[in-house]
Amino acid sequence: MSELLRIENLSAAAEDKELLHGVSLEVSEGETHVVMGHNGAGKSTLGSVIMGSPEYKVTGGKLIFNGEDITALGADKRARLGIFLSFQNPIEIPGITLSDFLRNALEQVTGKHLKLWDFKKKLAAAMELLDMDSSYADRDLNVGFSGGEKKKAEILQLLILEPKLAILDETDSGLDVDAVKTVSKGIEEYKKRTNGALIVITHNTKILEALTVDKTHILSAGSIVSEGGAELVDEVIENGFEQFAGRE
Amino acid sequence: MKEKTQVVDIDRSRYDFRYEEDESEYLESGIAPEIIKAISDEKNDPEWMREFRLKSLEIYDHTPMVDWGPDISGLNVDSIVAYIRQKNRMKTDWEDVPEDIKETFEKLGIPQAERESLAGVGAQYDSELVYHNVRQEVAQSGVVYTDLESAMHDPKYADIIKSHFMKLVPPTDHKFAALHGAVWSGGSFVYVPKNVHLDIPLQSYFRLNAKGAGQFEHTLIILEENSYLHFIEGCSAPKYYEASLHAGCVELYVGKGAKLRYSTIENWSKNMYNLNTKRALVEENGTIEWVSGSFGSHVSYLYPMSILNGRGASAEFTGITFAGEGQNLDTGAKMVHNAPETSSYMNTKSISKSGGVSTFRSAVVVKENAKGSKSSVNCESLMLDSISRSDTVPVMDIRTKQCDVGHEAKIGRISDETVFYLMSRGLSEEQARAMIVRGFADNVSKELPLEYAVEMNNLIGLEMQGGIG
Amino acid sequence: MINMSEKRINTLPVPTFRWLGVNDYKYDIKEFDTDIKEISVPENESKSEVVYIDSESATDIRISAENGSKIKLVCVFDVQGQARSKVTAELDENASLELVELYLGGDVVSEIVTELKGRKATFEADIGFKLESGDKLDINLIADHFGRKTVSSINAGGVLGGSAEKIFKGTIDFKNGSDGAKGAEKEEVLLLSDEAVNKTVPLILCAEENVEGNHGASVGRIDEKQFFYMQSRGIDEDKIYDLAAQAKLARVISRIDDKETLERINESLGRGEDSE
Repeated sequence: MSELLRIENLSAAAEDKELLHGVSLEVSEGETHVVMGHNGAGKSTLGSVIMGSPEYKVTGGKLIFNGEDITALGADKRARLGIFLSFQNPIEIPGITLSDFLRNALEQVTGKHLKLWDFKKKLAAAMELLDMDSSYADRDLNVGFSGGEKKKAEILQLLILEPKLAILDETDSGLDVDAVKTVSKGIEEYKKRTNGALIVITHNTKILEALTVDKTHILSAGSIVSEGGAELVDEVIENGFEQFAGRE
Repeated sequence: MKEKTQVVDIDRSRYDFRYEEDESEYLESGIAPEIIKAISDEKNDPEWMREFRLKSLEIYDHTPMVDWGPDISGLNVDSIVAYIRQKNRMKTDWEDVPEDIKETFEKLGIPQAERESLAGVGAQYDSELVYHNVRQEVAQSGVVYTDLESAMHDPKYADIIKSHFMKLVPPTDHKFAALHGAVWSGGSFVYVPKNVHLDIPLQSYFRLNAKGAGQFEHTLIILEENSYLHFIEGCSAPKYYEASLHAGCVELYVGKGAKLRYSTIENWSKNMYNLNTKRALVEENGTIEWVSGSFGSHVSYLYPMSILNGRGASAEFTGITFAGEGQNLDTGAKMVHNAPETSSYMNTKSISKSGGVSTFRSAVVVKENAKGSKSSVNCESLMLDSISRSDTVPVMDIRTKQCDVGHEAKIGRISDETVFYLMSRGLSEEQARAMIVRGFADNVSKELPLEYAVEMNNLIGLEMQGGIG
Repeated sequence: MINMSEKRINTLPVPTFRWLGVNDYKYDIKEFDTDIKEISVPENESKSEVVYIDSESATDIRISAENGSKIKLVCVFDVQGQARSKVTAELDENASLELVELYLGGDVVSEIVTELKGRKATFEADIGFKLESGDKLDINLIADHFGRKTVSSINAGGVLGGSAEKIFKGTIDFKNGSDGAKGAEKEEVLLLSDEAVNKTVPLILCAEENVEGNHGASVGRIDEKQFFYMQSRGIDEDKIYDLAAQAKLARVISRIDDKETLERINESLGRGEDSE
């Protein structure tokens, strides 16, 4: 399998405070990676920096995607190259419907004009898969959505945009058991359809049950302190993060 | 990383074409008794109107200029041509309208709109209406839609006009109301009889083509009990370097249980001083709904007033103002609760960019007799850069304890977070910003007829266009 | 008292429709000797002052707060007759002003102008009023944001009974350069009479993109849901209004910690030592 994303010795800061210190990792096509760690360990920062959030400044290192150095690229360019971030707190956009927004995004990402009818069909199918009421398509994006609906709407976008790499930032947090199942179903479908790669940032294992984890990375205070395969997830769940704090 | 979208001046080529006017058709510029008399002669005014004009002129001479609001020192009323005679009388058949005027309105899409979705259309070119027509079935229902001058000479309507004309907006209201009373010309008279519901809108389009001129049309609409009307006005003008003046006047009488929706898309060129006065008097259980988009003009003073005069009367104002380079747009609304159980709602958005100044200005007055009334105001402003300006100046004057008055205002910018979210889905920064602004304006465009909503979105798109960095 | 003259004070920073009578305060009244009080707070120090105005007078309080300093000023107005008050403040970097003003009666014209000059300066104003027939109040409060990340928060509220007249003009002015500034303003007025006149004029002026400004106001009667809730617990209408009025003032009074001042306020409100 060929390399998709390479993070080389990446450091990043927000408001003069360094939050990531020399993080390196590689994701190959179709792989599933899990990133775990305490609150404030830098997991979400890592996800946002890969997507190119202007909130963070890259202070060192490089991001290589599909062989191209994307460290200086804007988020839209990264999206067009095939990177997707499922936001931990999706943003509300008043006045723009979910459907309009997604159609616009899809046209940008694919560079192709899509017939309204075809798009609607595609959207309806994806919404059905996610048990989303079809009325959400015509509601303003994320406005007044419950926490669970917002997360579903993120996965809906994942299914429509079909990126090469999806970063799921605590997509499972705050969801009840049924909602986690639905969201997992969406992620499975994405994997099945595209064989895309995943970076799953999470606190628990429920969302991982249906996935084959290739690699696990433990972040602590902005650095990767431990790496392993799927077995590492269980180890963390059983024994907590403390054991990794001293390792390196 | 934080580059700003550079916004260029709007491509106004759709509005900027113009035709040479024949100089001989101008009356002299300036405001003097001889000019006023000449207008009266030209229009064959009835005696009361001749007197009214001269009286208004007197008031104009004695009324001081406004001492608040945007600067209008660039406007020299004495150099404005108040009246431009049309060579031909008004037509009711489009084919008979002179070629250059016809072409102007065709470029603006007016006859096409009529064919598609309107009950009647009026078109004013400079000082006079050049075209007026209503569908036959509409006329048969008793609806009158004609120019004010013809109606004034028609024995059926002469009295009604005399008893309503500038009664809501008297010439003493302010200096430009007085000026309007003296030199008004053109505009529409609409009468909707009791229980008549007009399902499709009537439209007036105002075009000021002449250079250095003023447009002073008067719109008088009377809705009898339980009737319904949607009236749309659109305005535009080509750009000149000389200041132009628009001091129109709109008087709306909404009868018991009647409902009037009055929509305006204003896109005057950026040399226009738009000092327009609009007022509605609403009787028991009647409703006035204003929808207002302000995009053009160099300077605007525009605050439609709703006087809720009968129990249960209500008013709603939905507006958007987009102030770009060189524009100072002072807009808002006034609500006067003068009867029990009346309600008013105001919902406005304003956007400032490239040095533009927008001011939201409002007044909500709840009088002592307006027991059980409700009012709610919501205004939001968006600043697109730091060379622009956005002010919010609301006043509430409340004189009864039995009321609920609420007010909310917000000013802010497009958050980096929101732009990032949209960019992470593949939109460029420019597209992301334009989309957010469109969303911001959505509550207004939703209220507009489809073709106007499309027009408004295009205007926003044009305003937001331009390279990054 | 020196002479009588007509003056305009309390001018609204951006004037509006003249017929509303809010652009300024015209007075043709007694001229008082002005009592000037200067309060300067040195770097990183804290000060607290109480001014109790109980007789006809004119007061001019000038505050300058240096870097990192804190000043808390409490002004109580309880006058038979006329009083004028002006508070001006200049706040340097990280300086903070906490202003508590309570109006319990009189014919009072009050102007408050705070210049948030230094980075991260903060201004917090809590204003309460309880006015009856014969009372008049004209407040003109202006928060000028010059510095980056400056914060202002203005909370006003109270009750108007009898033929009381009140104008509250509150302006948040984001000057160009006040990058990252935030300003919020709120006023809640409860009217107890149909003769009372309430004017609320909350301005936001803005010449800077990266700011957040909010204002909210509600005027009129008690929220229906709250009213119903209290009623359902057996409280009658008069008592509900009484409670609501107390609540409006309690928010402001709770910010006053000077014991003597609190006693005077309670006495004026007609509640003895048994209350609170």
